[in-house]
Amino acid sequence: MENGTAIRTQGLVKNYGNVRALRGLDLEVKRGEIFGFLGPNGAGKTTTIRCLLDLIRPNGGAAEVLGINPQRNPVAVRARTGYLPGELHFDENLSVEATLRYLSALRGRKADWDYTRSLAEKLDLGLKTAIKNLSKGNKQKVGVVQALMHRPKLLLLDEPTSGLDPLLQQAVLRMVQDARQQGATVFFSSHILSEVQEIADRVGIIRLGALAEVAETQSLVKRSLRRVRLRFREAVPQAVLAGIPGVKILSEGDGLSPLLQVEGEMDALIKAVAQFTVVEFETERPSLEEVFLAYYEE
Amino acid sequence: MLTIFTHTLKRFLGQILGWGISFGLITLYLMAVYKPMIEQQAELVSLLEAYGETMLAFFGGGADFLSPAGYLDFGFFSYFPVVAGIFAVLIGSGLLAADEEKGTLDLILAHPVSRTGLFWGRFLAFAAATTAILALTWLGFAFGLPIAGWDVSAVALLLPHISLLAVLLLFGAFALLLSMVLPSRMLAASTAGALMVVSYLVSSLARVNEQLKALNDFLPLKYYQGGRALDGLDWQNFLGLMGFAALFAVLAWLLFLRRDIRVSGEGSWRLPGLKRPRTADR
Repeated sequence: MENGTAIRTQGLVKNYGNVRALRGLDLEVKRGEIFGFLGPNGAGKTTTIRCLLDLIRPNGGAAEVLGINPQRNPVAVRARTGYLPGELHFDENLSVEATLRYLSALRGRKADWDYTRSLAEKLDLGLKTAIKNLSKGNKQKVGVVQALMHRPKLLLLDEPTSGLDPLLQQAVLRMVQDARQQGATVFFSSHILSEVQEIADRVGIIRLGALAEVAETQSLVKRSLRRVRLRFREAVPQAVLAGIPGVKILSEGDGLSPLLQVEGEMDALIKAVAQFTVVEFETERPSLEEVFLAYYEE
Repeated sequence: MLTIFTHTLKRFLGQILGWGISFGLITLYLMAVYKPMIEQQAELVSLLEAYGETMLAFFGGGADFLSPAGYLDFGFFSYFPVVAGIFAVLIGSGLLAADEEKGTLDLILAHPVSRTGLFWGRFLAFAAATTAILALTWLGFAFGLPIAGWDVSAVALLLPHISLLAVLLLFGAFALLLSMVLPSRMLAASTAGALMVVSYLVSSLARVNEQLKALNDFLPLKYYQGGRALDGLDWQNFLGLMGFAALFAVLAWLLFLRRDIRVSGEGSWRLPGLKRPRTADR
């Protein structure tokens, strides 16, 4: 693996009995980037992350994390990684501080305690409270702090803002960006598209255990889909618009003001409607969510 | 491994004190009532004779229950492997599977801890906790020695506890092994507990039933001395029990190295060991 790559998987396969969770996943994450891993529940996001930490063993293919094979040397991978599980559970009988100190001890006490306190303060997290008395959102804060407190080279975050209110979601996203500015690579899975769009440099869309698309976030949003609202002077037959390659009619608007979704170049649409009197031609860029849904509609 | 060991031992502290102090008080009580029992031995002998041979078999035979070794066996060590065995089975079956089912193992193993370090750190903590409970039990006997007026040293009283320790480690390691094979911690604990009770019944009845003696040769309690170890520990039996405890623990460790860590229903249970793992961390 060249120095510029933080994560690479080649043909990664993972089966749970008859269920094929990963079907030959090829993925490459560059060092120093924030990579958003998108997909609905069951697409294979968590399975991928757990393979990278050797919590589960792939049935085929290969993976490398920071140049290390996680199946051959999982301890070395974990020493350089901060992980926030999607299903986060702690020993309920410990306080927040005791939990963080124990997890720090597992890392040979490499966490900077002043830095840990500052992370907790940013999230308004009390250290003396018992875990069993914390809400789901507050437990998530503990998860975020433990993932960041030893300044890892790689952050593997599985749904990092799950259970947090919008203000705290923003706080967590800022902390993730801070970590990247300090040199960390961030690989995070999410199905909250707005947060991926907000902080990710690149996005990978996983579909049925294989990568459907990888692109820079903005280019993915800009490149493929446009929403076009037209207004004609006279009604245009639906067949005219339906037959244009890459065009999907979202709303007919009585033939006078149709709403279209256009994938790819606009040329065919413009040429097709040029024979009619066009009063208005309005285009909108879709949200990442619409792009994402477009992949799943295929 | 040291961090895992000390943290696990701290988690067991409540159980060590709860079980250990309870057992220590029982043994102190047993020593305190020894003299009054001896003073009424004629009535006691006739009472025990009325129980019949089969009933007495469950309490170590009862032939010499008035001697220190016989009394220890009758009053405590004959049935105590099952009582303390509940602790061993519950802890053994939950040593890894409980945290796996709760989802906490996922986070711990995402830290730079090898599966080997985690496994043996926890198993040694279980062994240390069991030893601590038996030490508190022994303290009850030791404090009771002057009350009972036995011509037995406190060190000699350790010998039945050493024999008991081997049995408990064996039960715990067996429950741990089952937890690596069966789909849930509860099923592993139930299965190990049921086998422990069946083993106890067969070994007890084998004292009076010739047909069960052949089967008893394959059961752990046949090689457990109990109170009779006061007259000298059978090291061969002790090492045999410890050997099987170690064998079960090693098998459980090998299975733990090979398997996926389950969390929140992810993955499914299959018979382990049918396929070689791609790699395994040491």
